[in-house]
Amino acid sequence: MIIAEWKPISEIVEKLKGHKKVLVAGCATCVAECAAGGEREVETLAPLLRMAMEKEGNSIEVVTATLERQCEPEFVEPLAAKLIGVDAVVSLACGIGIQCLAEIFEDTPVYPGVNTTSLAIREEPGVWGVRCEACGACVLGETFGLCPVARCAKSLMNGPCGGTRENGACEVNAEVPCIWLKIFERAQARGKVDELLRFQGTKNWSNSRHGGQKRVVREDLRT
Amino acid sequence: MNRKAGSRLEKVLASGRFAVTAEIGPPRGPNADVIVEKAKILKGVADAYNITDNQTAVVRMSSIAASRILLDQGLEPLMQMVCRDRNRIAMQSDLLGASALGLKNILCLSGDHQKASAGGKLKGHPGAKNVFDIDSIQLISVVRGMRDEAVQDSGDSIDAPTPFFIGAAWTPLAPPREFRVHRLAKKVAAGADFIQTQAIYDVAAFAEAMARAVDMGLTEKTAILGGIILPRSAGMLKYMNRSVPGVVVPDAMIQRMEKSKDPAKEGRQIFLELIEGVRAIPGIKGVHLQAIEAEHLLPDLIRDAGLLPRPAVD
Amino acid sequence: MSENFQPEIMILFCRQSVDPATDLARAAGLARNCVLRMVALPCSSKVEVPHIMRVLEDGADGVLVVACPEHACRFMVGNTRAEKRINYARGLLETVGMGAERLALARGAKLSAEALAELGNSRGRAVEPLGANPLRRRK
Repeated sequence: MIIAEWKPISEIVEKLKGHKKVLVAGCATCVAECAAGGEREVETLAPLLRMAMEKEGNSIEVVTATLERQCEPEFVEPLAAKLIGVDAVVSLACGIGIQCLAEIFEDTPVYPGVNTTSLAIREEPGVWGVRCEACGACVLGETFGLCPVARCAKSLMNGPCGGTRENGACEVNAEVPCIWLKIFERAQARGKVDELLRFQGTKNWSNSRHGGQKRVVREDLRT
Repeated sequence: MNRKAGSRLEKVLASGRFAVTAEIGPPRGPNADVIVEKAKILKGVADAYNITDNQTAVVRMSSIAASRILLDQGLEPLMQMVCRDRNRIAMQSDLLGASALGLKNILCLSGDHQKASAGGKLKGHPGAKNVFDIDSIQLISVVRGMRDEAVQDSGDSIDAPTPFFIGAAWTPLAPPREFRVHRLAKKVAAGADFIQTQAIYDVAAFAEAMARAVDMGLTEKTAILGGIILPRSAGMLKYMNRSVPGVVVPDAMIQRMEKSKDPAKEGRQIFLELIEGVRAIPGIKGVHLQAIEAEHLLPDLIRDAGLLPRPAVD
Repeated sequence: MSENFQPEIMILFCRQSVDPATDLARAAGLARNCVLRMVALPCSSKVEVPHIMRVLEDGADGVLVVACPEHACRFMVGNTRAEKRINYARGLLETVGMGAERLALARGAKLSAEALAELGNSRGRAVEPLGANPLRRRK
């Protein structure tokens, strides 16, 4: 899922100064799963924003809505009714949802309430870890299903750097395993270490943001 | 004899003589005199001098510029290049420039991650965007392509080959230990002419790793220089053992430093013993010696190790 | 802060932590320099962060969640979950300038009206220095 994290509330409050009626908009999909922008977080942040604004002497009306998906126009358009009298939106959706909202309601300022950080998996309750960088050239077939682009701090393609700690953790983040150690262990368990000895040449990054703004077109699906 | 780069380091190794490299960190400023001063102290004690590339992600004078300043002082630089800060375009361009400036040795490294490396009083640049467009093994391959085929990574040609003697690093004792020799093999296959290892304190464990490298025929294809860092206190050894991945310090060595009434002297003694121990390991072709923040101690130590004078080469 | 500021404390208590015979109206009557309101819950873990925020948004000056003693939760880990959530919410209240002390967790078993009221009174004393909930003025 897409992972987002709350911005510091002070940063949001700064943006809301001068506004009278604000909609806090959540999304019930990824950001709900990662506890950043679902209904629970919307209904937590909205009162907090009122408190913070009131504390600074700015009374503000805060209304809330949590959409099933903020990244698809069909789900966003019905929000129009709720936007009457609203002069700013704080979106707790990922960067995609925030922009979808901003595109559909282009006259209303839409502020991000979160920072979108990664494509991750829930590793255990309350812990999420990155799994994908959307690099556009998947190597999971060569790395036994463990992504070195996303999970090696240096995106190494030919095995571990010298920074694997004695306990198997990464030198950069002691909380995560050296993914190349994991790849090696999996290769070993399958009796296929020799596959890791193959030289992986320089990677073509152009099917991601490095190739310019990504746009996917499927003529057969176009109207 | 056909040389790849014609560097002094290459010639010493090709002649079968035991090589010595040392390290010089470029200054955190634009003052060339800092390097000139270090050059005066260290001239003649090593066959080549590593010039680090923004190690620990703290900004220092570029390794290319510092290497050229060293070269002008009559010392042979070994330019380090990390994959953290430049993409393949910038790296190859810098390689052309470095070659034009007369630099002949390169050490290809992935590089310290910018978030995890600077410590103490220095902040480094933990908020920087890293590059890691290519990794160290791919860099070796790119440099070899430029040298042997006069070709860029993309396949475009360059006017003339860049004669570089290509080096790489090896951390034989980091987990997964069994894989480390294979990673060495990948580096050698990609084109590493020589290897400098992570600091060795556990000579026996290193000898085991070397035996595997010898068995795999790697020492026939590349020259391995054992890395040795001068122990300066028991605290430093404990720190390295605990916090520097791939560095294993035997307890007995730490205790020896702890018990010593003169740890500085004890450290120098251990340093000399480590050189002797590493030198005796089959397949070892030289040593890479460091005295962190105490480079001035190196000349006497290298002399005491019986490694002076450095051999003359044609 | 006015001289006669009497904090309004909302007590969200786990039913298991209070003696079934306890007279809640009597407990409310034992309030000292504050107003005590009480809501019973099947378990302290039923309290979620948005509920707490809602209570504060509605003008309460402080919230006290009363849970069973550690390791005595009828639902095994309900009260430890509640404690984590409350610590998280306290952090949020601090960052918006409301003050972490507007929210707290207390533990008890078979609480009498007196004991429950004393927990509430104690929270009232902790909230008093923070002054009235700024949102209360608007009510």
